[in-house]
Amino acid sequence: MQNLDINSKQIDNIKKITSEEKNFRIKNLELFKTAGFPNKRLEDWKFSDFSNIISNNFNKLDAKSVSSNVNKINFLKDFEHNYIILVNGNLHSSNFDYEKINKIKILPYDKNTNYRISKNPMICLNHALAENGYSLEIDENYKFKKVLVIYNFFTPDVNNKILNNKNKIKIGKNSELHVIEYTENQSKFKFINNSYEDIILEKNSKLRNLYIQGRKSNGFFHKYIKSKLFYNSNYLNFIFSSGLKFNKLDIDCDLEEEKCTCNILSALFLNKNEHQEIKTSVNHLAPNCKSYQKIKNVLSSDSKGIFQGKVYVKANAQKTDAYQLSKAILLNDNAEFNSKPELEIYADDVKCTHGSASGSLDENSLHYLMTRGLNREDSTKLLTKGFLNDIVEFIKSPSIKEFVKNKLEDQLNGH
Amino acid sequence: MLKIKNLQASINKKLILKGLNLNIKEGELHAIMGPNGSGKSTLANVLSGKSGYEISGELKFQGENLKEISVEERARKGIFLAFQYPLEIPGVNTNNFLKTSLNSVRKAKGEKELDALAFLKLVKEKSSELGIDEKILSRQLNVGFSGGEKKKNEILQMKILNPNFSILDETDSGLDIDALKIIAQGVNTSRDKKKSFLVITHYQRLLDYIKPDFVHVLSEGRIVKTGCSELAQELEKTGYQKLN
Repeated sequence: MQNLDINSKQIDNIKKITSEEKNFRIKNLELFKTAGFPNKRLEDWKFSDFSNIISNNFNKLDAKSVSSNVNKINFLKDFEHNYIILVNGNLHSSNFDYEKINKIKILPYDKNTNYRISKNPMICLNHALAENGYSLEIDENYKFKKVLVIYNFFTPDVNNKILNNKNKIKIGKNSELHVIEYTENQSKFKFINNSYEDIILEKNSKLRNLYIQGRKSNGFFHKYIKSKLFYNSNYLNFIFSSGLKFNKLDIDCDLEEEKCTCNILSALFLNKNEHQEIKTSVNHLAPNCKSYQKIKNVLSSDSKGIFQGKVYVKANAQKTDAYQLSKAILLNDNAEFNSKPELEIYADDVKCTHGSASGSLDENSLHYLMTRGLNREDSTKLLTKGFLNDIVEFIKSPSIKEFVKNKLEDQLNGH
Repeated sequence: MLKIKNLQASINKKLILKGLNLNIKEGELHAIMGPNGSGKSTLANVLSGKSGYEISGELKFQGENLKEISVEERARKGIFLAFQYPLEIPGVNTNNFLKTSLNSVRKAKGEKELDALAFLKLVKEKSSELGIDEKILSRQLNVGFSGGEKKKNEILQMKILNPNFSILDETDSGLDIDALKIIAQGVNTSRDKKKSFLVITHYQRLLDYIKPDFVHVLSEGRIVKTGCSELAQELEKTGYQKLN
């Protein structure tokens, strides 16, 4: 791209920067410049040629942050919640009225060093340029009373940008937090959001994370999440992020100590031109840990879905119980689903299950519903909804379950 | 009500129905019996409009050519098929499904759609008539239902949709005697001068409880014998072999 405005001047402009951080940023920028946007020749990007997608969609791009303010946020009314508002990736404000405020520390993200060199050019780019984001730390022995909604808000003027931000969530010993990351994009223009997130779950802590979109959007999203789980902690991810032009969610989860659980559950409905990849790497590094992944996709029109799921079991991680299943329904001949399950097991006393299936809707089921007076379209919708609701049923809170069901319904109706 | 003339149906180039004739008038209940593989279920599938069959011959329902009517239109015109193997539909709530189904049929008939309250009242009434535990209606459609529950659920759907022509495809198979009686009662209480039934079965047992006006024997894709209800008893004694 001729008009790619990504350079070291941006790093020079960062205020209050140590020479260590500056070197780290410059090194990562060089790595990104050498590699360029990831293309299909990289194994991790073989189904999502990002370089190609970018050149097909952007004539120019720059990485300067957008500081525009936001006048009005449409808060969710479906359930009571605490909130953090991010505007174009910047921490804008937060509210923890339902909680004990002294147990919570929320700050703009600042430290940006001490990361290992990544092979993913998008992470290098993030390490080089990310200036915004949040850091949330929950003290020990504190269970949130209400869910926390993180409003990930993009303003109407974000255009031809690549926004890099970095976030961190740390849950202290015996503490518990439920998060809904709610992306609301008001920009009608194309832009890229490239984020990096650190998640740390200390002993006996619990984090539930649910990703969902307010509505369809022209944004291109890449997010890499590095989570570290310590003794007996429990990490659950729900991914319902349909309706994005491009979305790649890369979850890299280390089960560092015994008795940890990592669950990744996803129900996606992809429509016209939408491209979504879920990539997971669940690393069993200690004995007696459990992981459960169930990914369901329904693909319509010319959409493309990808699941690359890896389970790694280290030699000492005996009694590992790992499950992985990907199921996809293709409603159209032009839709495409790629699945690459991977198991890498070095321990000998483990239980690892994986499966992957994709196909069209069952004609016999469709016929059954149609003999009851439903037309083909409604029968398809009902079966699709049923297929995806299987994941929604894992949500415990009735009000949040209802909220997600309604959103799913909207997506199926093309909103 | 239903007029079938020289019906031939094949699937995957294999001829199953080889010139079947059948005439069912308003208010009549016909039973079709026959050995395995004689084409009983094919007949049910063809009448419901299932795709995949190549069909020739005449197929008329209330004077209209059935071949030109889509599956859902047939349902809306009052044709109902109780499946031999009702399908499990995960993630779809039975009650919600029944309501959607009923309202699409009512809408097509030009009747007012039922609201949630009126619908629940109707379901309550019909399910208690059939001795169905209402709890299964809040579960996913047929998922984890026992064989008997699935069949009872088919009859409940029949009761709710109130069709004028019902086909029961081996609804009696795999049922214990109590469930059989409930199914029979479901049919008997629906019978009137306007409604017709086609009951497909292997055994005479069901016909002890549902009295047919006519019994047909289907063999190798054709009706080879027609009689009144005594024919069924005769078959029970002699078997199908003698007919060939």
